[in-house]
Order: sequence, then C-alpha cells, then structure tokens
Amino acid sequence: MTEVGKIAPIPLVLAAASEITPQMRAVAIVVVVGVVSGIIALTSGGYWLSNFTQAYCMVLAVLGCALLYGQLGLVSLCQWALVGVGGWVSLRFYHSVHPPFFVTLLVGGVGASVIGMIWGLPALRMRGLYLALVTLMLAGAFQSLVTVISFPVGGPGFLGQVGASGNDRINMARPVFASSDTGYFLFVAGVTVLCIFLVEAHRRTKPGRAWALIRKNEQMAIAAGVRIVFYKAWAFALSGFLAGVAGALLAGLFGQLDGSAFPTTNSIVIFIGMLLGGYEVWLGAYLGGILTRFIPALLIDLNVNTNAGFMIFGAALLFALRDPLGIGGQLSILAERLYKKFQAQRAS
Amino acid sequence: MIKIDTLTVQFGGIKPLDALDAQFTAPICGLIGPNGAGKTTLLNVLSGFVSPIKGTILLNDALLLRFSPRRRVSLGLRRTFQQELVVDELTAMENVQAIADHVSADGASARREVGLAIDFVGLGDRRNALGRQLNLFERRMVEMAKTLIGRPKVILMDEPGAGLDESETERLRRLLVEIPSAFNSQLVLIDHDADLIASVCIETLVLDFGKRLAMGPTRAVLNDPVVRRAYLGRE
Repeated sequence: MTEVGKIAPIPLVLAAASEITPQMRAVAIVVVVGVVSGIIALTSGGYWLSNFTQAYCMVLAVLGCALLYGQLGLVSLCQWALVGVGGWVSLRFYHSVHPPFFVTLLVGGVGASVIGMIWGLPALRMRGLYLALVTLMLAGAFQSLVTVISFPVGGPGFLGQVGASGNDRINMARPVFASSDTGYFLFVAGVTVLCIFLVEAHRRTKPGRAWALIRKNEQMAIAAGVRIVFYKAWAFALSGFLAGVAGALLAGLFGQLDGSAFPTTNSIVIFIGMLLGGYEVWLGAYLGGILTRFIPALLIDLNVNTNAGFMIFGAALLFALRDPLGIGGQLSILAERLYKKFQAQRAS
Repeated sequence: MIKIDTLTVQFGGIKPLDALDAQFTAPICGLIGPNGAGKTTLLNVLSGFVSPIKGTILLNDALLLRFSPRRRVSLGLRRTFQQELVVDELTAMENVQAIADHVSADGASARREVGLAIDFVGLGDRRNALGRQLNLFERRMVEMAKTLIGRPKVILMDEPGAGLDESETERLRRLLVEIPSAFNSQLVLIDHDADLIASVCIETLVLDFGKRLAMGPTRAVLNDPVVRRAYLGRE
C-alpha cells in the first residue's frame, strides 16, 4: 500500500499491463492451453494421458483457490474436498437420472458451489490463519465422511452402494464424442478453457471490481456501497463451482471415485501449487495445477516414494516466498515484454 | 443539512465524542481540531462504522443512525479516508466504476457519471492508467471522483490534501469549491491545513477532546482566541 508522500516506483512491466486487451488475453488462453494440450494428446498415452487429465482437474481446483486468495486474500484449504463434493454429487445425480454428461458436469459444479458457499460462511468473520484452519478442518471432516459413506456406484438408496462383491458397480459414462482417453483429455482441456474464461470474465467486470475493493479495505468497500457478504459468498460459490466441475470430470475419467483419493493433504498441495504458479494471472493457476499432479506422477513413474513430493513442494515454496508472482506471473511478464518489444520493432 | 444532537461515543473509559451538538448548513463545512479531537470518529459515526451510545443525527430530516452503512450510501452519503485507497490493479476509471457499479441507477448512467467525475477531477487523459501508475495527487483525485458518483447528497472528506504540495493543494482547493454547485452536494471537510479550510469552508466546527470548542463562520472561528490557543497553538 502506498504511504502518503511515498510513491512506489512503477514497475516497467505493469505499464504495459493496461495495453493487453481482454481479447488478446482470451486468444492467449486458447493458444497456450490448445498448444500444450495438443502436444500432450499427440505424445502421451495411458498412464501419462490419465495423469494430465487429472492435472487439468487440479488446474480447476487451483483456479478456484487462486480466485479466493488473489481476489479477496482468503486462504481456503478445503479445495480438494470440494472436488470430492462435486464428484459425489455428480455421481449421485448420474446414477439417479442418467443425464447427458454436460448436465452432470453442471450439477456437480452447482452442488459443490452450494457447499462451498456454506463452508465459506466463516470467512464472513474470519481471515488468515483462522480461516485456513477452519477450512482445513472442513476438508478433514469431508475425508472422514466420504471414507464412511463412499461414492455412489449405482446401487439402491441415497448412498447408492452395492454389495461387498462390488460386481454390480456401474461406471459413469463419458460424453459420446469423448469416449476415448485422448478424446476425453481434449474435452477436459476444453472445459478448462471455458472455466478460465469464466474466472477472467468475473475479474474484469462488476464482481471483480467489488472483490478488489473488499481486498483493499472492507470499510472503503462498504462506503462504496459494496455488499460484502454477497460478494464474498459469490467468490466462494464460484470457487466451489470450479472444484465441483473438476470432481465431475474426475468421475468421468475413472467412471467411479474412491474415498481414499480425497485426503486432506491434497487441499494443502493445491494451495502450494497456487503459490508456485502464481495467483494473479490465469497462467499461474494453469501451471500450478499441472505441477501438483505432474510431480507425484513423475515420482511414481520413477519408482520414488510419493512422499518425496512433499519435500519438493516444500522446497519450491521457498521460491514462492521469494517471488509472489509465481512462475505464471513471471512468464506473463516475459510475454508482455516480448510483445512490447515486437510492437516497438514493428512500429519502427 | 446535518444536525447532530448530544452525540456521545465511548470506547471503554474514553469518550472520543462527548455530548456533541452541531449543525452543518453551509455548502462547504470544515471540521478541525487537534489530533485525537474526535474528527475522524465523527466521520465514522456519520458513515455508520462507529455506533454512538447516545445522541441523534439528522441528515436532511432523516434519522441517520437507524440506517446501515450501505443504506447511508444509497441515501447519498459519500466519504474518503485519511489514507488514499486506490486499488493498484484497477485503472483510474475502473476504480471509479467500482463505486458506480453499486450506486448508479443503470449501466448507461454509470458510464456517464464515471466519465463526468473523471473529467471533473482532471484525470481524463489518465483514465486508463493503472492505480499503481498514478502519483499521489492523481490518486487523491481518483478518491474524489469516487465520491461524486450516484448523486451524492453529503460528501465527507478526511484530509484530502494530506501530502500534497502547494500547487496541488491549490488545484484541490479550486475543485472543492466547485463541488457543491456542480453536483448539488454538501461537503464536510477535515484537514489540518488551516489555510485550505479558511479559503474553502464557509462554516467550521472545531473539536477538542470530543467536545465542541467553537462553531460558526470559518473566519470568525479561526480568529477566536480560544480556538487559536487550543488548535493553532498561538494567541
């Protein structure tokens, strides 16, 4: 915050930030995600394709986490649990009605959105460490609950369980046009792009401006007529929606979900991934999300204990502490500089 | 018009405002006093951020204290804070648009009001500059522009001239005197710059230890020996 009489120097790159139009940003999102996804689809198969599909689900979870932290300064450590909620709701809905996949996706998103909003209620009174701890405990509560009730697999009743043999388990079907692994990966990439657009649209319009005021100073935001509770709840709902969509996509990937796949620690890993990637730009969430899945997958592939991943993430946090912009933020700055240089050369 | 009657605020054993009676009727009113006199507390009570234990405030015949802070905004109350609070990541225009989003009647009138306010404070050619690219004077102007949105009835400004140099204060002074007629608003101004208060405010309230020390035409108040001794530090 600038103090009276002390004006902070203007960083070179931020002078260029206003010249990047929303249209250019939209093109960049499509190009970057499109090219990376194309390369992955052409070069990966089996194990890695599955992991990159999961990585894109992580991207959505990180995107929601970055929305809360970057826009409102709120630390939420229950994002992976909300992915689980989205998965549970989408599986429950799928086995009840057998709707088209897009509808299942939306229902999963809305379900986690509602739960996310309810879980976000403490945020109306809490910030910082206390909010982090409360959300972490909620993630722990979900882990305990889902271990007991498990995910629906097409059985009778509300919980949708089948007998101990498990022979009657029904898998959730993927969209007809994306039934292959590669097709489904590209489908998930497309949904990821749409979700990034959704967040960017919020950041550039009324809710984004309201969030910016709240983050700057709540009293000032109230004096500007902002409904603090409403906009905070909106942010939690949107963050939950993104996690819920991720959960539904995971359910589509595997056909069913396992309670043991939603440990509390993953919510912390997601937060670390967000810090590593950077929370101010979409690219940060994209790279952070991919890293959170890529590193454990690489360790498994190399036959290294996956707990080593925590050491890697811990060490990488030192980088994040030194550079709050994160990898995505730094790459965005580099891209803007190159763009300006290119424009200057073209003009001359 | 703001009418304050026996307003008392108490924090523990301290009374930042103690049975204060005052009436702001002029288009531009000053509020001065030494540090800790209760000036900002009074603004916080008017905004709804601090609740008094006793007293009433009438804003154009409406009992202000019964309304929430947000409702007071919709009634036409605007304010700035001691520290400028421009959002660095938003442009000058977006900073002003952020309040128009919530107080303007619709999108079209919001855009029109934002354009008018930005031009009024002289930031027309800096409208697309990010908050962090603005200097202190420009940031103060953004803060002022924010208060001019949505047909303000009363604008409370807490030290708008803090940190400004002489020429910037002169530009600020010229804008302040134009606000009541241009926006049909009443202005209540806190500032430590007695010259700014003297040249802008028609009537002034002087606070000392939460009590009214003097109130009346600004020149007469500033020449009052009691005020000179307590606030200006000279006989």
